[in-house]
Amino acid sequence: MSPSFGRGAMTNSWQDMQNSECFLIAGSNCAECHPIAMKWVNRARAKGAKVIVVDPRFTRTASQADVFAQIRPGTDIAYLGAMINYYIENRLYDEFYVLNFTNALYKISKDFGFKDGMFSGFNPETRKYDYASWAYQLDAEGKPVKADSLDDPDCVFQKLKTHYSRYTFEVASNITGIPVAKIKQIADTFAAAKPGNIFYALGMTQHTTGVQGIRCYAIIQLLLGNVGKAGGGIQALRGEPNVQGSTDMANLNANLPGYIPYPTNQEKTLNDFAAKHGSVQYKPIVALLKAWFGANATAENEYGYQWLPKNNPANMPIQPQFFSKMEEGQFKLLLNWGSNSTVSIPDRKLVARGLSSLEMLVVADIFNTETAQFWKEEGLNPAKIPTEVIFLPAAFVYEKAGSMTNSSRLVQWKEVALKPLNDCHPDLDMLDHIFKRVRALYSGSNDPKDEPILKANWDYGDHEASALKVLQELGGYNDTTGKPIAAIGEYLAAPIGTVSTGCWVYAGVTPEGKNLADRRGNADPTGLGLNKDYAFAWPGNIRVLYNRASCDAQGQPVDSKRKLIWWDPVQNLWVGNDGPDVVDKTKGPDTPEGKIGFKQNPEGVGRLFAATYKSGTVAPEGTAAVVPIRGAGMTVDGPMPEFYEPIESPTANLLHPEVQSNPCAKIVSKEFGNPDEYPYVLTSYGVVEHFCAGAITRNIPWLNEIAPEPYAEISKNLAHKIGVKEGDEVEVSSARGKLVVRALVTDRIQTLKINGKDQETIGMPWSWGFASLSPGPSTNNVTMNACDPGAGTPEYKCCLVNIRRA
Amino acid sequence: MKFTRRGFLKLSGLSVAAVASGLGFDLEATAAHGHALKLAGCTKIPSICHFCSGGCGLLLHIKDGKLVHLDGNPDNPINEGTLCPKAASLAQVAYSPERPKNPLYRAPGSDEFVDITWEEAYDRIAKKIKEVRDKTWTSTEEITNAKTGAKETVTVNRAEGICMIGSAEVDNEESYLLSKLARLIGTPFHEHQARI
Repeated sequence: MSPSFGRGAMTNSWQDMQNSECFLIAGSNCAECHPIAMKWVNRARAKGAKVIVVDPRFTRTASQADVFAQIRPGTDIAYLGAMINYYIENRLYDEFYVLNFTNALYKISKDFGFKDGMFSGFNPETRKYDYASWAYQLDAEGKPVKADSLDDPDCVFQKLKTHYSRYTFEVASNITGIPVAKIKQIADTFAAAKPGNIFYALGMTQHTTGVQGIRCYAIIQLLLGNVGKAGGGIQALRGEPNVQGSTDMANLNANLPGYIPYPTNQEKTLNDFAAKHGSVQYKPIVALLKAWFGANATAENEYGYQWLPKNNPANMPIQPQFFSKMEEGQFKLLLNWGSNSTVSIPDRKLVARGLSSLEMLVVADIFNTETAQFWKEEGLNPAKIPTEVIFLPAAFVYEKAGSMTNSSRLVQWKEVALKPLNDCHPDLDMLDHIFKRVRALYSGSNDPKDEPILKANWDYGDHEASALKVLQELGGYNDTTGKPIAAIGEYLAAPIGTVSTGCWVYAGVTPEGKNLADRRGNADPTGLGLNKDYAFAWPGNIRVLYNRASCDAQGQPVDSKRKLIWWDPVQNLWVGNDGPDVVDKTKGPDTPEGKIGFKQNPEGVGRLFAATYKSGTVAPEGTAAVVPIRGAGMTVDGPMPEFYEPIESPTANLLHPEVQSNPCAKIVSKEFGNPDEYPYVLTSYGVVEHFCAGAITRNIPWLNEIAPEPYAEISKNLAHKIGVKEGDEVEVSSARGKLVVRALVTDRIQTLKINGKDQETIGMPWSWGFASLSPGPSTNNVTMNACDPGAGTPEYKCCLVNIRRA
Repeated sequence: MKFTRRGFLKLSGLSVAAVASGLGFDLEATAAHGHALKLAGCTKIPSICHFCSGGCGLLLHIKDGKLVHLDGNPDNPINEGTLCPKAASLAQVAYSPERPKNPLYRAPGSDEFVDITWEEAYDRIAKKIKEVRDKTWTSTEEITNAKTGAKETVTVNRAEGICMIGSAEVDNEESYLLSKLARLIGTPFHEHQARI
């Protein structure tokens, strides 16, 4: 979503779902995996909203649908491309919105091209694109040239039209297995009832084309004018309780907290960093360095920029690649907090090989996970595994104070409810103790390499670390006033180098004497579910992102029933029921700033075509560099989504057989199967009773009673073909491994017609492993480690398997 | 309808019914007393569910420092008191006998975990961080400047041998310190399950 809208976050909230007139739920079984979504969907349904569900299986969510389509896993872009084509050809788009809030009119460089499945700029050696030709035509000042009408052959709108003209309903049907009439029904239903809302989860992201699938959603929502509106938007139903927060805090190799790009060895100085990433990233990184190094961060020493480890772009492994780096000998120590890779990584035999190559593994978790006990797995010889393992028992969510950020960016605080069980400790304490001990070991060192440890600002209490003190570091301080930052506006207005914040998007969460994440005002005077006084939503307590786009040219709401914000000409101010997501609250709709609906994008509009672009040439304060203000978020595998078959696919790519799968995909697994040996498509999924890798839920007796073991869900046709009945044991195998589970013979999966041939899908839940109260075989024995080139998410949702009676 | 013993006996018309059903006391008082036995005197402390990213509110009923009951927080506007089966089962984590009681250590080649103290665990971890950091440290490396094409030696300050897998299942403050600790000790090799 970030290359489309400027921020990667879910646009609206759970409560806002009650405002929708139509839902497209595709890539999410929210009735099981996010039951809270279904509560609000049902509230909208009670008022007449329509629900469309697209899924490889007839799920519990599908059982609530007005329109259900069963799809071959990994082919979503084909039918979504057909929807885009249909909306353009039949002028079903919102013309005012498209003209004012998207880059539809922007003219694209003559150098841009697309042929036979490849965009211009591909380097076959690196398997990467050079974005240079995915550019706008620029005027003398470096600003994009806009066309006079949507008919201009150079404009984005026409590029879109040409690109998707190949995506007819018939082609889409042959690829996906969804009948032509059903695709048309989906397209018509979704365009007819506005505001329309799209949900996705891992069903959409766990593909080698995951990012581009979400880009299709963004294009559809921008064409229909559904972004920035109550009841509209795109809801990324994220997978873990604090995955939004942990992403905000940059538990990822390419970011620092607050989505600051991680410095690489090409940015030798802070000025180099600013020149590359724009002045817009300069202030956050200085504020972060001040939070990390306190008084030791000064303008003279580049605020400690040199103390940060720099990435080498040639060696930036993502989590699924970590285990290869262990096996190859680079990593010798893994510190592992609350995650269970031994169950959760695809083609998981690689994990044990990696962990066995370490000198030490440290695991902090609630229960003794498969990862901590990897050396106990059947088939391994512990005597030959030299890894030292230390397990740290962690306090559970209600045994510690702190905040978590839910899917809709809502930062909620909780106090300690219970003392930690046994001798368990919060992870916060563990981190505090470990850092202080490491610092003590380096005490007195004069080696420059030890400066970041010795000069760090790390003071969260003497014995037990205080979570509130950490939250206050995120909320930030203003050197000028000597007080905590009161609101994000104060941070934005402050001169560079005068404010510190550990994560600038959280700036203002802890004004003096307050903790806005702990607010409990649950009134909802508008009936729109905004609940503005409940906890704190980043940024700046905005509940519906991009809400400027809910207004017309005069700055008044286009939907009188769902008013979010508006321009008040008397006060000369943007005001409203929600926090206005505008550049400047005092700049009216007749000013250039006041027209901007997507302020995080350098163009200020939503991006139908993800062009490379940097705006402005203003130098940041305190630097000599002349740098762009803001760079655009990019999709690494194309400026417009293109359909590619999954890495393991039962059929040829109908659009361009010579470019079968995503040419940029990151391939980690070594073994791949073909459809002759492995004719069926496996899709893995979760069930309501178990959570992710099951480390917690498989230790909860109530849940184990309801869902004791994994299984393979197959159609009646396939059951007949391989001669099994419900409850029989079957062996599911791929080129990478196998496992034995019981068969669930069901109508929930039907045989599909793909490219004229019958195709079977197999569904398997994946939350089991060899340890816990309720052990079971792991589906990730057979899945494939091949990742989306942009997000790095593995293609768990489709691989080729065989199945036979065990 | 108000349920009283007299009313009940009138309705049944027979005192035998009371004897046969084991009744012989005030039903309303009994119901109220039964409820009070469990939750009376509890402190209600709100918390947040630990599973999907909904952020549903929990309400923990605590008496004498013990968890007596867990249900949905009716004052949380996200879930308005409702919980899914997973969230409703969270009470079973509080006193689970499966939870390890103290830090554990597995020696190289061993087939068992043994108990260790926190002191020993922290000591071993800190020393290992220093050892691996010192022996795998890269202070500079040679690069080709992407703009000029020139070879340059640049400061990179990386502990190549240490990696960290953080978590989407811990609090923001913990998640932030994971990020901060990793980068302060010199490892940019910090990832977590948001990726997968």
